[in-house]
Amino acid sequence: MKKRILLFLLACVLLHAMSWAGGKSETGKTAGPVTLMVWHDQGEKGVNWFNDLNALYQKTNPGVKIESVTYPTQQWIEKSIAALNTNTAPDIIFNNYERVIKVEDQTNKIFDLSDAYRSLQEKDILSEQDLSVAKYKGKMLIFPIQRVQMAFGVRKSWLANTGKSFPKTWAEMLDLAETFTKGDPDKNGTAGDTFGLALQAANPRDLIHMLDLFTFGTGIRHTIIDPQGNIVINEPRRKEITKAFVALYWNYTARDTINHSFTEMYQIIEGGKAGMFRVGDWNVNKWDRPDVLGGDYVIGPWPQFKTGDKNAVVIGGMRGAAVPANSQKRDAAVKFVQFLLTKEAQELSFKHIGSAVRKDLNLQLSEHQQFFANPKYDLIAYDFPESIHPYYPQIEDMYHKALLKALANRNIDLDALLVETEKQMKDFIASRKK
Amino acid sequence: MFLLVILFGIYPIIKSIQMSFTASGTSLSSKPEYIFFSNYVSIFKDPYFLDSLRITLLFTIFSVPLNIMVAFLLALILGSPILKKGSVFFKLSVFLPVVVPSMAAAVVWKWLYNVNFGPISAICNYLGLPEFSGLANVHTVLPSLGAVELWKHVGLYTVIFVTNLQLIDKEMYEAAFLEGANYLQRTLLITIPELSPAFKLNIVYATIQFLKTFTVSLVMTQGGPNFASNFVSYYAYSKFKLANYGEATAMGTVLFVLVILISLSAKKILSMERSTRGTI
Repeated sequence: MKKRILLFLLACVLLHAMSWAGGKSETGKTAGPVTLMVWHDQGEKGVNWFNDLNALYQKTNPGVKIESVTYPTQQWIEKSIAALNTNTAPDIIFNNYERVIKVEDQTNKIFDLSDAYRSLQEKDILSEQDLSVAKYKGKMLIFPIQRVQMAFGVRKSWLANTGKSFPKTWAEMLDLAETFTKGDPDKNGTAGDTFGLALQAANPRDLIHMLDLFTFGTGIRHTIIDPQGNIVINEPRRKEITKAFVALYWNYTARDTINHSFTEMYQIIEGGKAGMFRVGDWNVNKWDRPDVLGGDYVIGPWPQFKTGDKNAVVIGGMRGAAVPANSQKRDAAVKFVQFLLTKEAQELSFKHIGSAVRKDLNLQLSEHQQFFANPKYDLIAYDFPESIHPYYPQIEDMYHKALLKALANRNIDLDALLVETEKQMKDFIASRKK
Repeated sequence: MFLLVILFGIYPIIKSIQMSFTASGTSLSSKPEYIFFSNYVSIFKDPYFLDSLRITLLFTIFSVPLNIMVAFLLALILGSPILKKGSVFFKLSVFLPVVVPSMAAAVVWKWLYNVNFGPISAICNYLGLPEFSGLANVHTVLPSLGAVELWKHVGLYTVIFVTNLQLIDKEMYEAAFLEGANYLQRTLLITIPELSPAFKLNIVYATIQFLKTFTVSLVMTQGGPNFASNFVSYYAYSKFKLANYGEATAMGTVLFVLVILISLSAKKILSMERSTRGTI
């Protein structure tokens, strides 16, 4: 019995030690050779990018080595939160701004990079928009490194086979969707085995992201909520777009798109089954490869919904580097983060990931890369509501549920559903404020 | 051993229950804010959670008897002298899906069910049958997933039945045969009562298994279409992805309590029956 009690006490001590692992020291100063550890979710291409950055950085900083580890996105979030809370953080965390916000919300331990930004020599690289994304609750959480652009893509050979041209308006897009869905645009001898569009719907972010692209792409900002906190889903123009958007799912996508997330959407695109799709700047390297799409696509801005609207390419996100306040090598980490905005480092960013924030890069680019590197169309930035409204994920989830209801039921009264959803959102926000 | 049980068994459960009493925004922080039963109140007010409970229970209620019945029939077939020659092959065929990784199986079935390109749909078209909407329709998604779960798990229940079948005293059958009992009577009066422990074990195990249904939902439907396959485990997971850690762990705790209660009830019924037998 005594032995059991002793073992139990030992276990308790061990568990207690585990939950406070890493000690309490919060230092930032280092001396001598250092290795900076970066956590990201960019997969193999991200690891290669940081390997090249390491080689470049060592030319001017021979005492500093950069190492990176890639994690699946959800694991990255959970590991980062746990590590920051237990003072076992890596030196840099790299991801989309909204995921860094999630980490900050749970830890309050991300270092404020405002001073590091002020000490930059080339401040004009970052626009006002970039800076607004980088800040959250008065802190500069990330150094924006990669602006994420998303355009509209159409299969080049399908356009040629059907004698159509790249759609500039919704009417043209719908006409093309009809032709691609009912005809034989891939000339395989079977009509009706292809789809007009590849979309996704399964997760809240997936579905709203798609609606965001069509909404912002025609020049309208804010899909669900404006910066003042007003719910805008029933505003006439937005409602019109939402209805047309839902009809796209009903008529021109694969039947099980309602269950599709990114993986399934990419399978449809890369499997040669959809004629129109979203093209992100990070897709280009892969889709230009002969074993994937072999460059068989045309990129352009999103179609305008009404005459007088814009045809815009959407800046849909921002990836950036953040430094945990309890990094053991914080000063060296901040210096490296500043280096990520230099021209050479940004060129490596474009080479490996397909995006950067600087516009003065000297690169040999393919036609598709050129489209994103030197945009000739209107660019419209996503409004980043996550960084303004802490309750945004919850109201996005509500909207997602409403839209899923609509996608699953063609006979639904969409007007009534949207009114009911707006009320639900407002009630939720009011309860949060209480 | 005791230490390992605490470390990997009890500690995560306690930690998860503790987290279910905290505000999601602070759940993973070093100083979580305790909000007591608010997360539980919130999930029981959430119609999607109540619906996910209903779906999970409904799926379990239909799947458990179906799996046990099919397993029992398969066991009778596999134990039959007609299949004596190829018995190893047939047993292996039935058991093989059990050892196939769940993720891989779900991916293959997802393709089989694909409305546009899947072979099931193609066969229906070829035969002139109505379109098979499989995972894309709110009315067909649960039976479709039920079929996958049946294929995946029935082998294990069958093996348990087959093993127990071999332990039944053959003289009982011979005596019944001499008394003039036909096959159905022998099955009803000897086989089923003698397999009673195997039935109980399978029922308890299958109930736990189906209450925790997750992989098929994650890989094949992501809870859809329109939340029609939103099992409690999957809904908790999707809440976790939205960083609603408090609500996610509250859902996990509700499911945990449900599984424990059902297992304990089954154990109680089992032991009651044993003591009843003892008094006869």
